[in-house]
Amino acid sequence: MRDVAIVGAGMIPFGRREEDGLMDLLASASLNALDDAGLGDKTVDAVYVANMGGGILQHQTAVASALVDRLSLLPAAAETIENGPASGASAIKNGLLAVASGYYDTVLVVGGEKMRDVTGWRATDFVATLTHPLAEYIYGVTLPGMAGMFTRLYMEKCGVTREQLAQVAIKNQKMGALNPYAHVEMVITREGILDSPHAVVNNPPVAEPLHLYDACPVSDGAAAVVLRPLEMVKNGRKPAVVIAGFGQATDTHTLQEREDPTDLKAVTLATQQAYERAKVKPGDIDVAELHDAFTILEIAESEHAGFFKKGEGGKAVAAGKTQLGGQIPINVSGGLKARGHPVGATGVAQVVEIVWQLQQKVGQARQVKDAKTGLTVNFGGFGNNVLAFVLRRVDQ
Amino acid sequence: MTDIELVAYKCIKCGKIHYPFHDRCLNCNCREFEEIKPEGKAKLLTTTQIFNLPCGFNQRFLIIGIAEFENGVKAMGQIKGNSVDDLALGMLMKPSWEPVRTQNGENIYGLKFEPIQETS
Repeated sequence: MRDVAIVGAGMIPFGRREEDGLMDLLASASLNALDDAGLGDKTVDAVYVANMGGGILQHQTAVASALVDRLSLLPAAAETIENGPASGASAIKNGLLAVASGYYDTVLVVGGEKMRDVTGWRATDFVATLTHPLAEYIYGVTLPGMAGMFTRLYMEKCGVTREQLAQVAIKNQKMGALNPYAHVEMVITREGILDSPHAVVNNPPVAEPLHLYDACPVSDGAAAVVLRPLEMVKNGRKPAVVIAGFGQATDTHTLQEREDPTDLKAVTLATQQAYERAKVKPGDIDVAELHDAFTILEIAESEHAGFFKKGEGGKAVAAGKTQLGGQIPINVSGGLKARGHPVGATGVAQVVEIVWQLQQKVGQARQVKDAKTGLTVNFGGFGNNVLAFVLRRVDQ
Repeated sequence: MTDIELVAYKCIKCGKIHYPFHDRCLNCNCREFEEIKPEGKAKLLTTTQIFNLPCGFNQRFLIIGIAEFENGVKAMGQIKGNSVDDLALGMLMKPSWEPVRTQNGENIYGLKFEPIQETS
């Protein structure tokens, strides 16, 4: 197997992009990554497109076939990868395996989603289609609803408090305000969302005990990377970043069939696999992008990824251990909470952020000092399909 | 009152109870199951009150929960009531089988739970 480098990374600002269609988002991010790779006229052998909702939201399928045509990448192999909110990392995994095996030398991976075309209740319904049709969906449960039930249990069993959840939101929105790619660039305060009389209005419940500022926004956006074998990467204008480790694991479709629903087994297994393949331990990770679609998930994933013991993640946030300059900076991009969560794009955007962190390209205000190794966790379904990558800077 | 039509599946080899259906037992991979009904009252395992509802629900909120029946069947259902604040994990609830949503103009039936008020 060959070591695989990320030779190009590109993203477009997330948010409400009324002027762009799904294909515009995918094409723009792809061109940014191809330009960053500086490949010139080199052939792209294959294109993997992560997209969850084109068929439902835009009534458009086979978007990968359409994209290679639009980008004049013919006759590159092309596939659309749909794996719920983990589609982005799944697409990178497919590119990784193709390049590592020696089958392809140059692969473009792009993830994108256009979610603001439809009303909020249609977008909510679209994401809820990943739940079990008979055992969950018919009852009207939504992803915030699943997260609400998970949070209620996590609070009772692990001692997480609403204050700690609010601190995740405050931290991530503070970082999002420094990220030009973030959907939400608004700093929030504890008074505004928790303590003041106005907090009831500012921060209404969406799925008790989760409130508005515990949830990520519904966003349009896209991100892309170009993969090549490390052996073909010449000393260049930027440090090379390799995918040093990858892991993926699944869990039961329904929350109710997990022996302990607060145990995110797939996160534990996926991150352990990624650490083992990269020959690192959680303590070696300098910066992490965790899938904080809801504030509780950042806390729970920080525990299951091995950064903190179970029950300590909330306290770690409160103690500042996960902020920039802390023990393990988490979601210094603003995370899904502030950057936004265009579902097909998220797993790719997490990797792009870590690449830029390792290449010292995010600007002083968000830069994790001397970051050499980073982790991403992309959380599909409600924890039933999780992918993790360990990325490492290689100083050539 | 309609009988509860939910069917759960007990592995004939190891006895593990599944809901919903699986083709192979999650514990021992056996492919044969005995169909069983949920029995008795249900104990609330977790719950939420959802305010941002998906299309198809024309109401202000939904209270949803996961509960475990006396014979070990675990299932999601809608909970009758006005506020999740009235619910404590572990409390007992009476199950029923009622319309839970409409699709294409037809009622879809499913589980509903009603908290049992404890009398002193």
